[in-house]
Amino acid sequence: MEGRITTEMSAEEILDTLRNADGYYLCNNERDVSQSDFKNRLMPMTTVQVALHREATGFFSVEVSGGASVHVDLMRKQVNPFERLRIARRAMPKTLLQAVCRGASMFGYRHYPENVIRFTVSEFAKYIDVWRVYDFLNHVPNMIPIFEEVQRAGRILMPSICFSTGKEHTDEYYVEKVKEILNVTGPDVIISIKNHSGLGTPKRLGQLVKAIRTSCPDVVLHYHGCNTDGNDIGRMIASVVAGVKICDVADHGLGAVYGQAPALTLIHNLEDYGKKAVGVDVKALVQSSDVLRVERRIYEPFENLFRGHDPTVASYKLTGGAAGSTFEQADKGGFLDRMPEILEEMGRVQIELGNWWSVTPGSQILWTTAVNNVLYGKYERPSLDLKNLIMGRYGPLPFYDPQEWICQKVLEYQRSDGKKWHQVIAEEGGIAKPRDADLEGERENLENEIGRSATNEDLALYLLYSFDTVSFFKFEARYGKTWLLPPEIWFRQGGFKVGERITFEDESGKPHHIEIISTRQEGSTVITSLLVDHAFHTLTVTLEGADACPPPG
Amino acid sequence: MEQKLMFEKLLVANRGEIAVRIMRSARELGIKTVAIYEETDKDSYHISQGDEAICVGPGPRKDYLNIDGIIEAAEKAGAGAIHPGYGFLAENPDFSKACTDAGLVFIGPPQDVIRNLGSKVIARRIAKESDIPVIPATETLSQGAEGEKEALAFAAEYGYSIMIKAVAGGGGRGIRQVDDAKALLGGIKQSRSEALMSFGNDEVYLEKCVQRPQHVEVQILADKYGNVVHLGTRNCSIQRRHQKLIEMAPAVLKKPLTEEICGAAVRAAKAAAYLSAGTVEFLVEPDGTFYFLEVNTRIQVEHTVTEMVTGIDLVREQLLIALGEPIGFSQDQVVERGYAIELRINAEDPKNEFFASPGLVQVYQAPGGHGVRLDGAIYQGYEIPRYYDSMLVKLTVYGFTWQEAVDRLVRALDGFVIIGVKTTIPYLRQILQEPDFIQMKFDTSYIDTHPHLVDYLEEEREMEKIARLIAEINAHGYNPHAQ
Repeated sequence: MEGRITTEMSAEEILDTLRNADGYYLCNNERDVSQSDFKNRLMPMTTVQVALHREATGFFSVEVSGGASVHVDLMRKQVNPFERLRIARRAMPKTLLQAVCRGASMFGYRHYPENVIRFTVSEFAKYIDVWRVYDFLNHVPNMIPIFEEVQRAGRILMPSICFSTGKEHTDEYYVEKVKEILNVTGPDVIISIKNHSGLGTPKRLGQLVKAIRTSCPDVVLHYHGCNTDGNDIGRMIASVVAGVKICDVADHGLGAVYGQAPALTLIHNLEDYGKKAVGVDVKALVQSSDVLRVERRIYEPFENLFRGHDPTVASYKLTGGAAGSTFEQADKGGFLDRMPEILEEMGRVQIELGNWWSVTPGSQILWTTAVNNVLYGKYERPSLDLKNLIMGRYGPLPFYDPQEWICQKVLEYQRSDGKKWHQVIAEEGGIAKPRDADLEGERENLENEIGRSATNEDLALYLLYSFDTVSFFKFEARYGKTWLLPPEIWFRQGGFKVGERITFEDESGKPHHIEIISTRQEGSTVITSLLVDHAFHTLTVTLEGADACPPPG
Repeated sequence: MEQKLMFEKLLVANRGEIAVRIMRSARELGIKTVAIYEETDKDSYHISQGDEAICVGPGPRKDYLNIDGIIEAAEKAGAGAIHPGYGFLAENPDFSKACTDAGLVFIGPPQDVIRNLGSKVIARRIAKESDIPVIPATETLSQGAEGEKEALAFAAEYGYSIMIKAVAGGGGRGIRQVDDAKALLGGIKQSRSEALMSFGNDEVYLEKCVQRPQHVEVQILADKYGNVVHLGTRNCSIQRRHQKLIEMAPAVLKKPLTEEICGAAVRAAKAAAYLSAGTVEFLVEPDGTFYFLEVNTRIQVEHTVTEMVTGIDLVREQLLIALGEPIGFSQDQVVERGYAIELRINAEDPKNEFFASPGLVQVYQAPGGHGVRLDGAIYQGYEIPRYYDSMLVKLTVYGFTWQEAVDRLVRALDGFVIIGVKTTIPYLRQILQEPDFIQMKFDTSYIDTHPHLVDYLEEEREMEKIARLIAEINAHGYNPHAQ
């Protein structure tokens, strides 16, 4: 398709193409759809299954990594995040792969040492073409090491300005923020408007884009929004009409509520405005959704417990990406029924704490604070992260500080030295920059734990999440590349029927078959006989705890 | 008119792969077979391969060694002959005699030949009389302090290292190398004890240790008409603690040396009035000097490599000779072609001093294809008993060239799937990839001088790992790793 952007182009060529494009491009944000609406559970084989059509569609990029997905890959899907990228690259060789990076928190929840950030980015940059980078306080210095490493790797840098609503969130503020970023990065970047909670009206977004374009006419703009209130199509239309060149979208067969709005709906609407989706093959786009509609049934248990668009997000401002995890926590914590109260409290807490941006790790701070406020009373159980935030450990609050009574409750909570809150801020406040890690020492620790030599990729994962990385490597050594299994097998509930045949391909495309021959239980031991590629295996599993008891009835 | 055989039913006084092997050749000659088994061995594969099967006792082991019980079983089954295989009673002259006395044909040499050649001292005398060089050695050591004196005197004359050997020995039992006087005196006691347990005879003798020789043996066949032919050489140098691990044919010596050694073997067989199949063993030093070692009066484990390169079925020939037939071919007609290598795949854990690893064979898949021969007696679901030897299957391959044989061996070894017990497969795979082995640079010290071969990672196939997860999902009713 004419004007299509591919991996065969250099970063410079891509930016030139975007600047000169007569129309707009689409980014398929599978990662955010998975995180927002399916508790991050979309498996690599689902990506592979739809890859042929996505590759044919001609997206600017497909976001397949970053955010919470990297950690969940290790914890819940038992797939190496680097392998996941290799899988996506093999399946979509021409399509740019995109990731979102949480500034100094990278793909985690706390600020990492600078050398860890640089090392990790350099490893991931071998696969990730487009880096969407943000900081939840829009504090540009927190993002500089990532900017530098991405540019050093020759990848496309997409610094973000987090967007929200309220009287502080003016065009002037955001225009200045864009200028501050461009001063650091230079002009050859894509600036992303990160509307992570899907806030503001189409008119508001159109104004903002216009303001930025007026002030920085050469800047290439990207829009990332969520469709929580059901109005992100409107915001994207207004943004594109005002000059945005790339929009994050979802497949209509997979999109739900908290993730992105459907690509095809946007295309249909923008045609009326004479705006064309450059390089996009609509037929392939539809075919993707035909595949995903069927595949989606596997993930139904992971869809959010509160479904349907929610215009009240305008007040509680929960980011789409945090929706899945918050509902999951509420369900596991037994307070799902109190979600309306908690969401209402989130809106209040936002204002009380400074009306900054409800996105990771800030969204977790707001969420935990709101939950604790509802369950235990206003600021009666402040978290360590909230203390750190008020002390300025993550960076300066952009607009205003919380009221004194909040600072007092939070900073003097369980304080044994009798220090008052203002003393604490004076003596201990300010950005906490973690000391550089001993990378080779960490590598030695990892190798000791896994009993083999560690690659740089292994080390990068260990530096981000040491415990879960070791657990994953131990799992992989014992169970192999289980991501090859069809997702419906990975998430199977109720075991297997005798005679059931599981068919899947390995990485080379060679088919394999595992057939269930028999199952019998002797006490707490379950004996399963299988035919694995025609070879007979009998495997025993000893059940423990509740699993050891036969199900009632 | 159909010729009536001297015997039409053969009792195979053995178990495992060799019993199956013998039954195959017998069946091809139209001879019915009788398997015997101990109660502790009732799941053994060979039982199903015999036309009949008789339990000879509760076991373990003692009933396979019970001459009277086995003769009685043969008589009960109406067998006219007994094949002893290897091990157990195969080289027990009393068994050969008992068979003959009972009017049964013993598939092997007469009792006096077994007795003479089984005595290493007499065997050495026969060799010397046939102008075959022998390793300096003592006569049978006297018992007690007198024997110790004889031993120390021998050590003083020839120096160390010295081999202590059981007079009635074989299969590596009762053999040990000693390097000083203390080890010599202690080793004599240990070897006597081992020999008594294994052979019922605690006599031992000493032999000067030949350093880093190659173990070369010659397969011979002899009929009752005085015909003796050799079927070429085998190299069995790769041994662990005197137990052969890998055997190959031919031994790949220079032609004159091969002819000399083979000629010596035929002379020894003739001098001993040999009958049936046998093996004359030699040690060959790097300069080509060779010494007579012993004669094994039985079919050997490694006979398959000779069969592969000559095309001659040795067990069939044994049976025909026992039936009174002359050897059906002349020495000139024996042609060795290509290379054959045999591996013994044992249920042992190489990483744990090769300790036996009995247990349930959960999965058994075997390789096949051109040039691959399997002699085994295991099957999927077989519970390997702990009472018997640990050999699971012999893998023998043929290759037109040495490299082809090695390549085929690697391929065939990779085709095995044996789950449930530890096996020597990963260790053997290490050897096949080791440069000295590939370049045929090995002698009897090979295993000791290549200790790193045991440093391998236990490999598990990707699909077997994934199957483990399937079993867990099935057991739990959900995936415990996806929660």
